[in-house]
Amino acid sequence: MAPDHSDDASAGVAARLKDVIFSYDRDAMLPSAAELAAEDTTADPDAREGPVLRGVDLSVPSGSFTVVMGASGGGKSTLLRTLNAIIPDFIDGSFDGDVSVLGQDATATRVSEMARGVGMVLQDYEAQLFGTSVEAEVAFGPENLAVPADEIGDRIDESLHLVGLGDLDRRREPAGLSGGQKQRLVFGGVTAMHPELLVLDEPTSDLDPKGTRDILEVVGELTRGDSSGEGWHGPDTIVMVTHKIEEALLADRAVLLRGGTVYREGDLREVFTDVSALRDSRVALPPLVDVFDRLGVPNERLPLVPSEAADLVADTDLTWTPPATRGDDPPGAPAGTGADLGEALFDLSDVVYEYETDQGPVRAVDGVDLTIREGEVVALVGHNGSGKTTLAKHLNGLHEPDAGTATFRGRALAERSMSEIGREVGYVFQNPDHQIFAATVEEEVAFGPENFGLEGEELDRRVRDALETVDLDGMEERDPFNLSKGQRQRVALAGILATDPDAIVFDEPTTGLDATQQDQFMELVGRLNREEGVTVAMVTHDMEKVARYAPRTVVLKNGRKEYDGSTRELFGDEAALERWDLRPPHVVETANLLADEDDLPALSDDELVAALGGEDAVGASAGVDAEAGTETGGDGR
Amino acid sequence: MSSASDLYVDRSSLLHAVDPRATLAFVLALFVPAYAFGNPLWVAVPLLVAFASLLYAGGLRNFWRLRFIVLALFVVGLIVWPSFTAAGGPTLLDLGFYSVTEREFLFALGRSMRIAAFIVGGLVFVTSTSNEEIVRGMRKLGFPYAFCFAVGTALRLFPTFLDAAGTVRQAQEARGFDVSASNPVERLRQFVPLLIPVFMTAFRNVQTQSMALEARGFDTRRERTFYGDESYDGTDWTVTLVSLGVVVGSVALAALGFGSV
Repeated sequence: MAPDHSDDASAGVAARLKDVIFSYDRDAMLPSAAELAAEDTTADPDAREGPVLRGVDLSVPSGSFTVVMGASGGGKSTLLRTLNAIIPDFIDGSFDGDVSVLGQDATATRVSEMARGVGMVLQDYEAQLFGTSVEAEVAFGPENLAVPADEIGDRIDESLHLVGLGDLDRRREPAGLSGGQKQRLVFGGVTAMHPELLVLDEPTSDLDPKGTRDILEVVGELTRGDSSGEGWHGPDTIVMVTHKIEEALLADRAVLLRGGTVYREGDLREVFTDVSALRDSRVALPPLVDVFDRLGVPNERLPLVPSEAADLVADTDLTWTPPATRGDDPPGAPAGTGADLGEALFDLSDVVYEYETDQGPVRAVDGVDLTIREGEVVALVGHNGSGKTTLAKHLNGLHEPDAGTATFRGRALAERSMSEIGREVGYVFQNPDHQIFAATVEEEVAFGPENFGLEGEELDRRVRDALETVDLDGMEERDPFNLSKGQRQRVALAGILATDPDAIVFDEPTTGLDATQQDQFMELVGRLNREEGVTVAMVTHDMEKVARYAPRTVVLKNGRKEYDGSTRELFGDEAALERWDLRPPHVVETANLLADEDDLPALSDDELVAALGGEDAVGASAGVDAEAGTETGGDGR
Repeated sequence: MSSASDLYVDRSSLLHAVDPRATLAFVLALFVPAYAFGNPLWVAVPLLVAFASLLYAGGLRNFWRLRFIVLALFVVGLIVWPSFTAAGGPTLLDLGFYSVTEREFLFALGRSMRIAAFIVGGLVFVTSTSNEEIVRGMRKLGFPYAFCFAVGTALRLFPTFLDAAGTVRQAQEARGFDVSASNPVERLRQFVPLLIPVFMTAFRNVQTQSMALEARGFDTRRERTFYGDESYDGTDWTVTLVSLGVVVGSVALAALGFGSV
């Protein structure tokens, strides 16, 4: 008998999934929920075949903000897409199970009909903008829902105000907005449809720190929403997929997926401090949970945010010993990278670069001096438009300075051809799909060295070595377009490594990868630097990666170099971080809260554990009986 | 606000202010006389008006972008068009294998100026009409909404794909990619590393975009409303009627034999 979906709405349930099985293969023979329940759920999602969702049972209470987390390929986004009927109405696959959303049977309703109650924001903001002006963009959804034209004007005002774009020129074309503004505009377009349930799929993955902060403010504002009563005051219920802890902490409930099913769900704090459940689900532990778990603090006292961590330290016998103090020679990067330096490799002197625009030339790089030595790992940071990518493109000759000089090993880059520079300096772009074209992984990786004239045994050896280095050996004959994004990014890197460069420039190499893929990729970069001596310059927004891998950071703002020095000293200067819109990772923020004026912060989980007395001293210092958890009623870990 | 890769220029001018259908009528009033007349002196009028309108609308940068194409078409026209009419009058140029009489020259000059007037007139339209207005204008002219929406999306995505193509080219150049073959077939084959990533990026974008469209309630099978439809006011009617007057007048004059070579 078909379930009665109208009961859910009255029972305070916004969405209910029952025995949901889904495979992207349209001809798949779906197993029963009972058969799936009996199988091994620990298999690697990248390697596993069969359904992505494997018997999902889930209830989303009305009025809740639920965050869904899990391993890459584990079905998080797929799950979200059942909530507005994208699956099974739009995506052609094999589906079984019941999905009830806002009292409607979402398995028998069109996506465009579900849009009356369910709003959706995806990661890629470019693909979600349809209007040719800000105003047209926000009006688009209500127009589709046949909202009367005179009411749409009010909704535009309301939504733009809600997402912090109230002052924007409404005739402005979305193409000219920053990434953060574009994503806010997407939120504006969705909220103008007055959804009861808002579904967010990694909404900040493609944004810089400022854009992320703006979106988090918008989401924070929307969580105060309540669709009950007169008018619309924001969505009643929010469901979000993310791999960023900062975003996840906005929620009040958490769901962990493992093997395509719900492994753990409940109150956010309970789930995020359940270390074994997080590990089992291959979800990266919140950094502070990891640190204080290793310090022996019982689960129920584990902090989620820096202020809680600082309070916890103050309440216990844990003592802070800084990794270094100002004036000392600061310790290197926690990852051990950039430690062994040689001669100057890159030397940029008074570099100026301008782009032509309607409003005249815009100076993207304005008189920057930069010397990078062999073996260094340097992070180039700053928010969008600060000039970091433009500057990075001077390191391999993709841009030639309008004024000033750029040299590599003492020779002007402008005097050398791209094919000559490419043998010594590799450039890994943000999106691997901007370079992959070949039918097999092997051909793709061989493209660079072939262009540089290699052939025969030497070419084969280079390709083989590069694939081994990025752990893709055995995949030579695979079609690169069928690999996961993390794997495609590694193919792109292998294509550069096969040219055997002395230095590699990375432009946002981990954007769009999940936490596990990011860690794997950055460990690979770290290994190349430590073991092969490859010099690394990386453009990134990810402050956790900067803290861990780059002992030196260059901060750019409006094309000018604002800071060039020790990453540790930079992260110890909170006023400067604020000035440049840089937000340190939670571990660093906690260390700064604990530090005295002259102390330099810890930059990684390991360093914070050590600074708080190390793992041996934990039980006694924390005043916790680690064996029995008697004092705090912990779980005895 | 316009971005550098757009043809539209954001400016306050009468051409920007009027309804896109009125702008279209104005452009017709440039095209029709340029087509109806053959004498360079007569074709010069719509060409000069088109240039003046383009300057007024702030579109000089658009002309500058196309200057080589316009110049090439103009010069090639001057060389080729003489062979499409009968010789007449004194010989202006005689190279033995190629000669041009006065009549042939005037005919060719008129045709080259006509092409230039078409291009500059088209630039006037795209300079003063945003993508949104083009779509709205098409819809009001009776085109189906789904078609108008597809045109608007294509116009919006064009600069995005140009940017993507630029990035792909840089990514391949950084790996030593160089298109240098003189053989056209080989040259085409060499473009594969550029074309496939661009197409794949476009394909992935289209997939996401289709999904996002449906999630925003887009459905051509049901009724929708339109926000911001403005009425056709007095200025729009004035521009339209004057333009139609020019169109009718130029056709009549041409039929009476005026403006021919």
